[in-house]
Amino acid sequence: MTTIALLLVVLLPILSAIVIAVLPDHHDNGRRMGALSIVFTLLTLLAMVYAAATGDGSTVTIPVMRLSFWTGGFQKLYGLVVCFMWFVSALLSPQYFHGHHQLKRYYFFFLICLGFTAGVFLSADLYTTFLFFELMSLSSYVWVVQEETPDAMDAGKTYLTIAVLGGLVTLMGLFLLYHITGTLVIAELHEACAAAEPGRLWAAAVCILFGFAAKAGLFSLHIWLPKAHPVAPAPASALLSGVLTKAGIFGVLLLTGQVLTGDHTWGMLLLVLGAITMVLGAVLAVFSTNLKYILACSSLSQIGFITVGVSMICLLGEHNALAANGTVLYMMNHSLVKLTLFLFAGVVYYNTHALDLNEIKGFGRGKPLLHVLFLCGACSLAGIPGFLGYLSKTLVHESLVEYAHMSGMTLITVVEWLFLFSGGLTAAYLTKIYVAIFWQRGRETGKKWGTPLSVLALCLAAVTLPLLGLTPHALAEKISGTTLDFTGGHAFDHPIHYFSWTNLKGVVISLAIGMIVYFLLIRTVLMTKDGRYLNRWPKWLNMEEYLYKPFFRGLFAVLDVVCRAVCDVLDVMVLLIRRTLLRDSREKPVRSYSPLVQAIARQNGDKAAQSAADRLDTDLDVLNRMTGSLSFGLLMTCLGLCVVLTVVIVSIF
Amino acid sequence: MNGLLLCLPVFLPIVAGLAAYFLPFRTDRARHTLYAVIIGLTTVLAWAAILQCDGSAFTFLRFTDTLHFTLRMDGAAKLFAGLSASLWPFTMVYAWDYMKHEGHKPMFWAFFTASFGVTLGIAFAANMMTMYLFYELLTLATIPLVMHAMTKQAIHAGVKYAAYSIAGAALAFIGMVFLIVNDAQEFVPGGHLANYSGSMTLLLAVFVLAFVGCGVKAAIWPMHSWLISAAVAPTPVTALLHAVAVVKAGAFACIRLVYYSFGTEILHETWGQYTVMALAMITLVFGSAMALKQRHFKRRLAYSTVSNLSYILFAAAIMTAEGLLAAFLHLIVHSVVKIMAFFCAGSVLHYAHREYVSELEGLGRRMPLTFACFTAGACALTGIPPFNGFVSKWYIGLAAVGEGSVASCLGFAAILISALLTAIYMFQVVIKAWFPTEGIRLPSEQDAHEAGGFMTVPMLILAALCLLMGLFPDVLLHAIREAVIL
Repeated sequence: MTTIALLLVVLLPILSAIVIAVLPDHHDNGRRMGALSIVFTLLTLLAMVYAAATGDGSTVTIPVMRLSFWTGGFQKLYGLVVCFMWFVSALLSPQYFHGHHQLKRYYFFFLICLGFTAGVFLSADLYTTFLFFELMSLSSYVWVVQEETPDAMDAGKTYLTIAVLGGLVTLMGLFLLYHITGTLVIAELHEACAAAEPGRLWAAAVCILFGFAAKAGLFSLHIWLPKAHPVAPAPASALLSGVLTKAGIFGVLLLTGQVLTGDHTWGMLLLVLGAITMVLGAVLAVFSTNLKYILACSSLSQIGFITVGVSMICLLGEHNALAANGTVLYMMNHSLVKLTLFLFAGVVYYNTHALDLNEIKGFGRGKPLLHVLFLCGACSLAGIPGFLGYLSKTLVHESLVEYAHMSGMTLITVVEWLFLFSGGLTAAYLTKIYVAIFWQRGRETGKKWGTPLSVLALCLAAVTLPLLGLTPHALAEKISGTTLDFTGGHAFDHPIHYFSWTNLKGVVISLAIGMIVYFLLIRTVLMTKDGRYLNRWPKWLNMEEYLYKPFFRGLFAVLDVVCRAVCDVLDVMVLLIRRTLLRDSREKPVRSYSPLVQAIARQNGDKAAQSAADRLDTDLDVLNRMTGSLSFGLLMTCLGLCVVLTVVIVSIF
Repeated sequence: MNGLLLCLPVFLPIVAGLAAYFLPFRTDRARHTLYAVIIGLTTVLAWAAILQCDGSAFTFLRFTDTLHFTLRMDGAAKLFAGLSASLWPFTMVYAWDYMKHEGHKPMFWAFFTASFGVTLGIAFAANMMTMYLFYELLTLATIPLVMHAMTKQAIHAGVKYAAYSIAGAALAFIGMVFLIVNDAQEFVPGGHLANYSGSMTLLLAVFVLAFVGCGVKAAIWPMHSWLISAAVAPTPVTALLHAVAVVKAGAFACIRLVYYSFGTEILHETWGQYTVMALAMITLVFGSAMALKQRHFKRRLAYSTVSNLSYILFAAAIMTAEGLLAAFLHLIVHSVVKIMAFFCAGSVLHYAHREYVSELEGLGRRMPLTFACFTAGACALTGIPPFNGFVSKWYIGLAAVGEGSVASCLGFAAILISALLTAIYMFQVVIKAWFPTEGIRLPSEQDAHEAGGFMTVPMLILAALCLLMGLFPDVLLHAIREAVIL
């Protein structure tokens, strides 16, 4: 039964997508497809709950492409998160897509991607992971370009390029890994890698990291993320940001927990990448004025936080209990928060058809429920006590403090301060959104902001955050405790007092920084006197436009020249030979009949003889041309070769 | 009896196909029926031979004890013959509809059928000399097909094709003489030359020449440009040229040369191996890069073939059992995918009258089936699971990394670069077709519509095959292992 439920989680969405595809068109603004997709995602969620409740960590292999799945602790947890998030965003879809076009395409890829994403998280070997990872990347491309605007097409292009590039490099890494260890089964990797030579393992790990880091949006491969998330429809952005980036983190965790366990250099690499991403995303978010763009940059920043957590799992070795639990909780927190906030952005968008803060100012006034729901998400993201975000941020922060203390390196202390600083920026940009939408005056719409289904969607998403945040020992730690096998973490050796002063201090410092940034930077520099927001981020500061595109353009130009040269090399040689060795005769062709023909023609003087003479002339001409042609030359070369060979053979024997 | 069964599928289409040229037909339908009977019969006979005559041989002409023309059924022959016999009927059905719009039908059908027999002859050839005979015959049988349109451009393409093929055959001839002299011309797995004691330089030089000679048909750089020019031929012809008949015969000949005549033992880790590997690597990146530059739809696919053939040659040049497995796997996979991609291009050409990639904008809305198939093909060529292209790329990768030398790892990196370029040039088309730029006017319904059943059904079956081969690769892998690795 468990096996069937597990397979259903992957297969049901794929089958339901096919059902959607073959349904005849029904002109009801996609209401029927919306309802169907809610039912299907709910069924998938139920199947996943059943599989998680009864699964005992055994592996299931099916004969189709030798895919195998299992229900380890982390796999169960993220399987549940994925299905839950899909279900919730399906709830919002009917209202969001009212009056949109190409809905069949959207729902098809929406459902099919659920199966693929679940496949990534439930996979038992890296081969299956990779397979579903690629499928997930490709099918989510359609979400990005769903609106078909020029911006969306452009973002889609970047998204697809990075996804394919990442996939290929990862594939290379998988081959190397397989060659070194002889296995790709996740449960066996740990032992196999312990015996392998670290140098080659590193090469494999870096290649694999490339693809996963690209999906997660780590620095230098992040360029697609702030472009793609804002242009996708809101229910899809919630998933892109909440789940798909986690698939990238899943790979990073896997490498850290199973392949390069406890490798110091690896930990430092992740720490640096994570720290850069963390600060960069937060700074970008502070400057932007577009609601979804801010949320996308915020995702970038949060991914940085999570990567810092992962690096701590690696660096702390035996003492990584704080980091391991904190990272998993952080991932969950970010998934759920982004679900709430992007769905909130969706609500804003279908009510106002705008996303710029200046145009949606005051939208939230007089909507108390929406107000509360937004605050749930925002507080959790900012790490206010009482929400899940607080627990996870505290755990990761404490692990940083611990490692700074243990190693005594200044770099770690610097990262710790950057951590607090980015936390402050998070609070600052959230305050910016909050004040703009809920306090400033602007366009105000009526009290009603959504159908019961949409309200339910937001409530479901938001309510989990305080629920988990208020029960750190009863729920949150238990959940993260089940995943320690996979992350290579250790259990807590002493109970954590979450609400003690030492732990609260970090939040207080962060919030103080946040308020300073908000009042000194956002309210003065980024805002005019009458309350308009300005985007002062310099346009030229864009890695894609000024680094990647010129690089690839240059590369393709060089490749082009080389290929053209290479392409014509044989033709040029033939031409050279024709111009030098086999030159056409310089004699002017004499257009005269042969003497015999002339004589005949002169004697008879009739038309028939004339034309006969013409025909003969043409034939001679053709013969001449043939003997002068390239193919004739080659033919003669062949004959020559044959003669030479005969002579050689004769002389040998 | 088995000897007859071996001979029939080879000679029946050649003789009957060419003879039928002289019959006067009242209608196209009558001609189609006759040729359908011939091709159908040949297919049945070929499959009967594959299933019945395991290992039996038949000599149909004998000069001396060492020089004779012999057909034999071994594992590799089964695979290649099976592939040809499966894809020819599809092309025939497709051509019924497609050739309505073209002239010179008697000539087309005669040579189309004859080249079926010749290709089977290449598959069944038991020694170098027999293969050489059919190899040359193949050139002769396909020239009229390439020149079919009889325009200046087509004739030029035909002449170029002939010149390249004959030059290649001359090089292959050197190899043949060397093999005959060393008494190594029968094809046996592992080759004969393991104990060769003569000059290694001579052997390797001859090997490289012969490989390039056979590689001309497989469009190895710098002998590739005939394939591009030949894209002017009617689509069923290009589809066949690119998928099975000519280019795969070239790749098959290379495999025969490496694994069945020279033998991998003496070639492995020599400069001969590295030279051919380097040529294959250059070709596979070069082909993809050129495909990216092509604006003409069919020429883009042609360059894609150049690149993909070198995947096969590269896999063959790894010279391990895994390499052989991967080479055959990609040979079969690429045939199915490429023939389908060309079918799509052909139906776009005839039912939407578009030749250039930039003109395909929005056509997915008008020809959904065609472009759904093409999308499947694009995924397969790029190597996206669960399509069959992924499986073959996976096995090439395993073979390359498994062999472990720097050269083969480099080659695999080259394949990945090429795969990235493949993704770009194929998905450019897919994205153009499905997601037109805003504000572009879609072609009217009369102007662009789905092709008839004769054209779409083969495409759909082949697309389904791409998916099935990817989902259940074990069936195919098992067959190949059984056939070539004992």
